[in-house]
Amino acid sequence: MSSNIRCDGVFRREFLRVGGLTSLGFGLSDVFRTRANAATTKLSGAPNCILIWLDGGPSHLETFDLKPDAPSEVRGPFAPIKTNVPGVHISEWLPRTAKQMNRVALIRSMTSSLGEHNFASHYLLTGYKPTPALQYPGLGSMISHLRAGEHLLPPHVALARPNGMAGPGYLPDSASPFVIDGDPGKPDFSVRDLNPYQGVTMSRLKRRQRFRDVLDSFHRQVDQSRNEDAAFEQAYRLIMSPKAKDAFDLSKEPVAVRQKFGRHRLGQSCLLARRLIEAGAQFVTVTDRGWDTHENLFNRLKEGYTGGTAGKIPKLDTAYSALLGDLADRGLLGDTLVILMGEFGRTPKLNPRGGRDHWPRAFSVALAGGGVKGGQVIGRSDAHGESPADRAVSPGELVRTIYRLLGVNPDRELRTNDGRPVAVNNASGVVKELLA
Amino acid sequence: MSRLLLMICGVAFASVAMADVDFDTQIIPIFTKSGCNAGSCHGSALGRGGFRLSLWGGDANVDYRSVVREFEGRRVNLAHPEKSLVLLKPTEELDHEGGYRLRRGSEGAALLKKWLSEGARRIRSRRLVRLDVTPASQLMEKKGEQVALSSRALFDTGGSEDVTGWTVFQPDDGDAVYVNKKGVATVKRPGQHTVIARYLDRVVAIQLTVPLQSEPIIHSKVAHHNFIDTEVNTALERLRLEASPQSDDATFLRRVSLDLTGRLPTPEQIRTFVGDGRKDKRSRLIDNLLDGDSFIDFWTMKLAQLFQINSKKLQKEGALAFHSWLKQQLKKKTSMNQVVQLLLTATGDSYKNGSANFSRVGGGARPQAEYVSRVFMGVRLRCANCHNHPLDQWTQDDYHGFAAIFAKVKRGRMVEISNRGEVTHPYTGQPAVQRLPGKRFLADGEDGRMQVAKWLTDLANPYFARSMANRLWRSMMGRGLVEPVDDLRSTNPPTHPQLLDALTADFVKHDYDLRHTLRTIANSAAYQRSSLAANGNEVDQTFYSHAIVRSLDAEVIADALADATGIGQDFSGARPGTRAVQLFDPLTPSVALDVLGRCSREEPCESSMATTGVAQALHLINGTLINQKVASKDGALRKILSRPDREVVNELYLRALGRSALGKELKHWLSEVKSGNRREVFEDLFWSLLSSQQFMTNH
Repeated sequence: MSSNIRCDGVFRREFLRVGGLTSLGFGLSDVFRTRANAATTKLSGAPNCILIWLDGGPSHLETFDLKPDAPSEVRGPFAPIKTNVPGVHISEWLPRTAKQMNRVALIRSMTSSLGEHNFASHYLLTGYKPTPALQYPGLGSMISHLRAGEHLLPPHVALARPNGMAGPGYLPDSASPFVIDGDPGKPDFSVRDLNPYQGVTMSRLKRRQRFRDVLDSFHRQVDQSRNEDAAFEQAYRLIMSPKAKDAFDLSKEPVAVRQKFGRHRLGQSCLLARRLIEAGAQFVTVTDRGWDTHENLFNRLKEGYTGGTAGKIPKLDTAYSALLGDLADRGLLGDTLVILMGEFGRTPKLNPRGGRDHWPRAFSVALAGGGVKGGQVIGRSDAHGESPADRAVSPGELVRTIYRLLGVNPDRELRTNDGRPVAVNNASGVVKELLA
Repeated sequence: MSRLLLMICGVAFASVAMADVDFDTQIIPIFTKSGCNAGSCHGSALGRGGFRLSLWGGDANVDYRSVVREFEGRRVNLAHPEKSLVLLKPTEELDHEGGYRLRRGSEGAALLKKWLSEGARRIRSRRLVRLDVTPASQLMEKKGEQVALSSRALFDTGGSEDVTGWTVFQPDDGDAVYVNKKGVATVKRPGQHTVIARYLDRVVAIQLTVPLQSEPIIHSKVAHHNFIDTEVNTALERLRLEASPQSDDATFLRRVSLDLTGRLPTPEQIRTFVGDGRKDKRSRLIDNLLDGDSFIDFWTMKLAQLFQINSKKLQKEGALAFHSWLKQQLKKKTSMNQVVQLLLTATGDSYKNGSANFSRVGGGARPQAEYVSRVFMGVRLRCANCHNHPLDQWTQDDYHGFAAIFAKVKRGRMVEISNRGEVTHPYTGQPAVQRLPGKRFLADGEDGRMQVAKWLTDLANPYFARSMANRLWRSMMGRGLVEPVDDLRSTNPPTHPQLLDALTADFVKHDYDLRHTLRTIANSAAYQRSSLAANGNEVDQTFYSHAIVRSLDAEVIADALADATGIGQDFSGARPGTRAVQLFDPLTPSVALDVLGRCSREEPCESSMATTGVAQALHLINGTLINQKVASKDGALRKILSRPDREVVNELYLRALGRSALGKELKHWLSEVKSGNRREVFEDLFWSLLSSQQFMTNH
């Protein structure tokens, strides 16, 4: 069994499914319905966002919240090291990140009651606890919807198929991310179908686009409930713009830069994310799978496999530290919020298979850039990383804070296509330390 | 309302003053009502704060042990009942992480105290026999109206008691219905809503309806073909939803051909059908489609999706054998209950005996149990792995007992029964005893799989036929009567309960015949309605006031593109001329099928795919899928290009959209043709037709 598959066996085509939403009371036809409500474009000055989603639930005890004084069945073999922020220690396998901690705000007191992958992912990605009545939109889709407009690049790009809960939820299908499924870490990586088919000139391409619009307008005269075809419009904008195509071309980066991010999927995805943000994407989701470490945890996190050279954590260390450093060097960090999180933490006590199981009661999340004050640790967990010891932060509050950081009024009301008013976020508080 | 209040108080008084307090039927409801045994609290698999209760009070033994016996009984203080932790914590007289759950001096607190002062015994004085909840269903005039919900428990002692105050009323949509502490429900949004009433281990669904529109519907005006329409029309009437008119002939032909055979009608078929003057031509068409080979091919694929046939799990040989076996059964018109029996009990070389592969799909005893329950029962047992199912009756005994049956199957290439395999029950640490879920434990030496087969196909079995009927309905109508189709449970009631009952009974009565039920659905007026919204019914996505527009399977789109253009799609490893629908293995390499979002069959694919997205649009615009076919010298377009413009336009419409071009459409395209290179303009028109949403959907 591949280590990228989660314990519930889910490597579903979740994302595709969410668009259909049939299980949640909305017919498929809502795909073709009118936009949920009028959208607004980005407020000037509001930051963009890169979300690095560690799918499966990364262990807080091996990354950002080590417990060196706990008994061995809790602390495990990894030791903490100093960072460039006095008094803040993180895992010895995150040495490069340790040098970027002055840019990072670390929350060590995240807490939730949901210990199942889908439920927990829904909570972290949407800010709402899951309910059978309504599927809520993920952060990226919400931003994409609120900032919809004629952008060159799709407002929400997903590198690797994202978690199923990151989809548009009750929002129209046009809020779906542009999913790039290929592996940017591979030498032959390219985004498929950006160039015209042989024999189809630009003028014919344009004529086809116009013909399709004509067909659509004929059809709309009989069926008024149809949505505009946002996906096709976006696709045409991509095809017709050399600048947009360039953004996807990693070969335009100097070798040294590519090296710095790490020659692996996560590293090159983070580099691509930076290129896309530079070219005007508003939200990029990078999904890194394989954090559901029920067994053989230390090996998988440190070496990857027996005899391997880099496991989950060292790869993350390279990619994450390079991304923060690079964004800062280019003066983009202030305008780009970088979120590093997964759906929950892992059980303080090691299980008999040398792994840790799901643990939502205490876990860590890291934010940087986008106006967040770095070099701070918010909240702490108790002696064994079992529960928050103070300043407990719920996923709802975290997401509310993220919306505030991204210039979205969380109390704004949207409407589902059956007319129900829903707030962007309904949590009661925010993490004030992040907004200061 | 005041009467209701009086009633509750009266009962409360009576039950406190009555005989000794019964832990099982009087104390557990207090835990449930106060939220103590919810999944996020002490009801979680690990408990909370060292105190574990069974989820929703599903297991009185566990609860009694936890409350009274654990830690030398520290949670009860028999000498000073009022100082018992079980009382002080929820009333927050002692610090309680879960907060203030039980009002001091409330009836619940009083009952708890009385029980403690009687020695915290478990007297088992009575058992719940039945729970009556009223109203079962209520039609209201407008939003904002209220209705008092009440529940009455009947015990084996013969006594009955109003237990409204101890019943948890949970609306499935908290924004639509609000139920206050006294059980009075306020409906805040129009539509049909469900409130789940829970008392002890019983769960009853209440349906509350507020019409979506204000004008009453004249029933006799709505088309009615068979029993399906009786139920569908009744719901429309309740909701005051106007029905759209019946679809026209060409639309119907396209829809039913795609649903039954996964194929577009040819221009010739369209002309013949539209020109046919016979009154019963629609039902004749349905019969013809059901009798053809295309039906067998397409429904073999549908069943292969359900059964998750793929070469990753079964190797190429196994996948091919399983696929061929299914096809044979459809050809022979084997009844579905027999298919179930054959699949469940098959043994032998799975590369030769296709049905034996069924036992290999799960890949382990527990996954196989989940697979069987999902496929043949339409239920999700998985939750009951770690704890009793929070929304359903399933217990860990059911889960691990069911898995124990499949643990006895050796599932290599040779499928054999062994008497050795077992699974460990996580709660007892002992081997789980084989069990038919929700039914009975098996005796030693009983052949578990045989018993499962017998039980599932028994006429009285509530799962198999029902889940099958629901799936067939969904594949034709675009929405299950219960959604998702693998989540049948009392807390997830059907939108049309009587219809699902009737459809199930009809399926069973007709010998579990797939074709019969598909025919019945296809012949209904509900199926034949137009997909265009009419008179305000666009708000409806659930009650079939108009047909639901559906995405097509990736394989069907690929075949439709090949048929429309006259250029087949080749698949590596498959004989030339093989249609995408006929592929036995979803891992057959094909960029086209990947981009169109095919089901990998490694996971259930029963929720529809939204086949949109920028990546797909890019491929349709620039990829080979449509471009190569439209421009091919051997394609359909080149063959008709010598005909007059008007005929070419019309033929392209027939091929792509299954209908003739309307007057204004024709006029528009005729003028476009004059504006450029004739062949290129037609190619571009053809491309536009084939990439349009009308082509990509069934409507």
